Amino acid sequence: MEDYQTCPKCKTTKYRNPAMVLMVNACGHALCESCVELLFAKGSGACPECKCPLRRNNFRVQLFEDPAVDKEVDIRKRILKEFNKRQEDFPTLREYNDYLEEVETIIFNLVFDIDPAGTNKMIDNYKKENKDITQKNRNRQSQEEMELEELLEAEKAQQSEKANLYVNAELEEKKQKHKAREKLIDELMFSDADAKSIVASHVQATAALAKEQPKAAAQPSSGVVKSSKFSSGVQIGLRGQHTNSFLPIPKQEDLPLYRYTAPVFDYDGPPPPAIEKLGKLNYFANIRAANITERAGGYTEAMSCCRALQEALGGLFYSPQLTHKTAVLATNSSTQDTDDMETT
Amino acid sequence: MKLNVDGLLVYFPYDYIYPEQFSYMLELKRALDAKGHCLLEMPSGTGKTTTLLSLIVAYMKAHPLDLTKLVYCSRTVPEIEKVMEELRKLMNYYEKEMGMEQNILGLALSSRKNLCIHPSVSKEREGKVVDGRCYSLTASFVRARHAADDAVPICEFYEGFDAHGKEFPLPPGVYNLDDLKEYGQTKRWCPYFLARHTITHANIVVYSYHYLLDPKIAEVVSKEISKSSVVVFDEAHNIDNVCIDSMSVKITKRLLDKCSNSITILETTISNMKENDSKRLEKEYKRLVEGLRDATIARETDMALVNPVLPSEILEEAVPGTIRTAEHFVAFLKRVVEYIKTRLRVQHVVQESPAGFLRDIHTKVCIDRKPLRFTAERLASLIRTLEISDLTDFSPLVTVSHFATLVSTYTKGFTIIIEPFEDRAPTVSNPILYFSCLDSSIAIKPVFNRFQTVVITSGTLSPLDMYPKILDFHPVIMTSFTMTLARPCILPMIVSKGNDQVAMSSRYETREDTAVIRNYGNLLVEVAAAVPDGIVCFFTSYLYLETIVSSWYDQGIIDQLQRHKLLFIETQDAAETSLALINYIKACDNGRGAVLLSVARGKVSEGIDFDHHLGRAVLMFGIPYVYTQSRILRARLEYLRDQFQIRENDFLTFDAMRHAAQCLGRCMRGKTDYGIMVLADKRFSRADKRSKLPKWIQEHLKDTNCNLSTEECVQICKRWLRQMAQPFSREDQLGISLLTLEQLQSEEMQKKIQQRAQGV
Repeated sequence: MEDYQTCPKCKTTKYRNPAMVLMVNACGHALCESCVELLFAKGSGACPECKCPLRRNNFRVQLFEDPAVDKEVDIRKRILKEFNKRQEDFPTLREYNDYLEEVETIIFNLVFDIDPAGTNKMIDNYKKENKDITQKNRNRQSQEEMELEELLEAEKAQQSEKANLYVNAELEEKKQKHKAREKLIDELMFSDADAKSIVASHVQATAALAKEQPKAAAQPSSGVVKSSKFSSGVQIGLRGQHTNSFLPIPKQEDLPLYRYTAPVFDYDGPPPPAIEKLGKLNYFANIRAANITERAGGYTEAMSCCRALQEALGGLFYSPQLTHKTAVLATNSSTQDTDDMETT
Repeated sequence: MKLNVDGLLVYFPYDYIYPEQFSYMLELKRALDAKGHCLLEMPSGTGKTTTLLSLIVAYMKAHPLDLTKLVYCSRTVPEIEKVMEELRKLMNYYEKEMGMEQNILGLALSSRKNLCIHPSVSKEREGKVVDGRCYSLTASFVRARHAADDAVPICEFYEGFDAHGKEFPLPPGVYNLDDLKEYGQTKRWCPYFLARHTITHANIVVYSYHYLLDPKIAEVVSKEISKSSVVVFDEAHNIDNVCIDSMSVKITKRLLDKCSNSITILETTISNMKENDSKRLEKEYKRLVEGLRDATIARETDMALVNPVLPSEILEEAVPGTIRTAEHFVAFLKRVVEYIKTRLRVQHVVQESPAGFLRDIHTKVCIDRKPLRFTAERLASLIRTLEISDLTDFSPLVTVSHFATLVSTYTKGFTIIIEPFEDRAPTVSNPILYFSCLDSSIAIKPVFNRFQTVVITSGTLSPLDMYPKILDFHPVIMTSFTMTLARPCILPMIVSKGNDQVAMSSRYETREDTAVIRNYGNLLVEVAAAVPDGIVCFFTSYLYLETIVSSWYDQGIIDQLQRHKLLFIETQDAAETSLALINYIKACDNGRGAVLLSVARGKVSEGIDFDHHLGRAVLMFGIPYVYTQSRILRARLEYLRDQFQIRENDFLTFDAMRHAAQCLGRCMRGKTDYGIMVLADKRFSRADKRSKLPKWIQEHLKDTNCNLSTEECVQICKRWLRQMAQPFSREDQLGISLLTLEQLQSEEMQKKIQQRAQGV
């Protein structure tokens, strides 16, 4: 019922000669291997069907049922080597799609021999214009290919890991069961306790083990990274959602609210006049007034004046014992007892 | 009677109610309140359907804004009809009590085959042919052609519906398939399109699973159902398999040859059209360039080709340039088909991931992933443009296009398996490519996401915790109800050995053992001698059934059996089986008594009820494990293990036990019924198998009945049958397993029901 592959020249069929292999050349007509050897003994000749000149070297094994598809795929591979622009090379999707269609038209024309001269011209033009991009893209994998490669590798890794894991887990489980059984028998043989209670405790222990098992099995798999970005964007199942969700903001402990207290300065001397009052007290009479450029930055003569006064008055009351005591008082008033010790 | 369920007034169309029905309502109400999904198991024959309907209708009446629609999914047409009957009873009761017409519209929907009233089309037997012929009469372009030329035939019923039917909505009431047809006949409207149109505003819709779960159909039929609906999947114990089937594709060599033919047809049509009417192709091309979605897609009659689930952002995108013009696309299809043909030429089994397939197709025939993804969409558009009216021939090509789209869209949860021959006939070359979905959650996920409440219910859902795992959802309620019984009317027993103390088991190692086969035979003969009327036996597979029957024949067991009862056998042929069933029922009805040998997972085990005298005993010979060497199953098990941490053995046992429970449940169809359930395999008594039986069976399975020999089993049967044969009236049940309103409202019973609800 099935129509077998037939060589158009010698009419041999696959059924009569299972070893027969069909070959195709650039014209897309099939010939069996022995016919090729016979007709192309000199290395070149004409196709028996379309009379187009062919070389023997160019014969390849026919891959598809329809030799025309073989031919098309050949042409396509050749063309796509040159026309290898990516979507990234185009500003809009529309232009990329137009480009794709153009490529498809060229291939289509070549396959069906429509306007060969014009098509070849187009190809040549393109080659000249896009030399750089073609060269560059040849060494670069497209994003899609990369994604596929990545996915395949992940699959492979996961598979080998999983296989090992589960084999080990199963072995382990078997061992444990065996051990538990032996232990039970030993106990029954040698211990003086009541047989019933021994059996009961054994049952309990195995039940506890059985509960643990599924958890143990669940753990290792969580280590495998799941790539959910690839497949169509639709995440499969609920698992995907967990990986994307944000961590909750860590909750603050309940501390008392911060309250500002003005710092207290200890000058060890008479308090200097406040910065606002300096002008009134006529301190500026003796210093250089700030010029316009200095004022632009926010500087006023009051600042340096105030600093100078603080420096002048600070530390006037200094005496070694007194400062020692006040320093201690200032730092830690809580350690009263040590303070007492020193005063005594 | 009128019930008060947790503050909700429920009209219940019967005078008596089972206590478990009331608890079922309580749980269901809680789930509806929480707007979450739920999983409810209640034994068959306790009135699940009525309970569901009366509670949900009451809820819809009380909260018309929160809950607008009930979508009730069942498996088969007879089941759909049963639901409609219950609904009609309920509505009649409402009318009687409230004294006025109810403003509720309920209807059933089925395929064109069941609803067509066109004089010649409705004569067709096959569903696909009816669909194709309907399309050729109602497609938009056919009608347009008819407007220009009267000779082009169209369907007058569709025209009638199109002209008038859309303005006049169906009056409220309950319509089953026959009612719809009748209504269509009187109005001269097409009932199928009328029903599909009415779905959008009906309150209750009853149809088959596929209208929601199969993405290709759901897209067309169930698209406009609002979120505030409750979806019920009845008899849902096999729902994961339905999900998987709806996403899987099987490609054979013959299918591909047919594809090549249809591609040639496409080529010639395109070249013809180019000569005569090139405008249309240009128009299509322009639309594709612009990236506009097909405007005609909304036209309801052009439904035959729909693409499988695609994320919407892809649907918005423009069709890639490589397949924009019609000729290029046809060449593209040719390459795809030829490529798959080369893949089928294999000597040994190949298993591959979708990613591997994509890479290979890229290197071999230079097909990128993106155009592949648009194949289904593009093909649909092309067929519409070419105005091909006979779609039946194109279904193989459509299948391949679905495959192309799916394989390039989903890289996870699917696998490709290419088998050069079937396992049973390794010498006959019959290559098949299976594109198999491994993850049942993919198909059902849109349903869970879209509807506020999804109820999954069946008589046998144990173990309950497996379903949320494999369907990947979080139920708010997960409950198993038992049957309250006034007398112990089921008798489950595990028979583990024969009279000669040889263990009985269908284990692979002991399958061929003559002692085991003889013991199975003796068990059946002795049970047949003790039990009146009908006995149903289930085997693990057809193959096993045949080998056992042939050796019984040699051992003379068949002769002994025929002394007591007639013998009928289920075969793989549907017609033969239904004939056997008819005669089996006849033999039971006239008192001769009969034995039916059938297969778990077969037609008999799903959906055929053996109530009362038709099934006084069910015998389960062996544990019905699936054929574990199947590569598709292996792949699925691996996937379940990796993704859901379900161990292979757990899933296999779960699957086997749910089928065993299905088989056992066949003989119990109500509280007045009684039946013996014999589990004839040593392995059933192990804890991991026993605990997976439904609660209502487990309850009656006493420890003393777990390790019986044939003789002991027969003794117990005799004693029990004598007890069951005593007259049993409604009065015996009242107050225990059957309640009047007063009894239900009594404090004691309320307390009991509360306890039961909490105990589970």
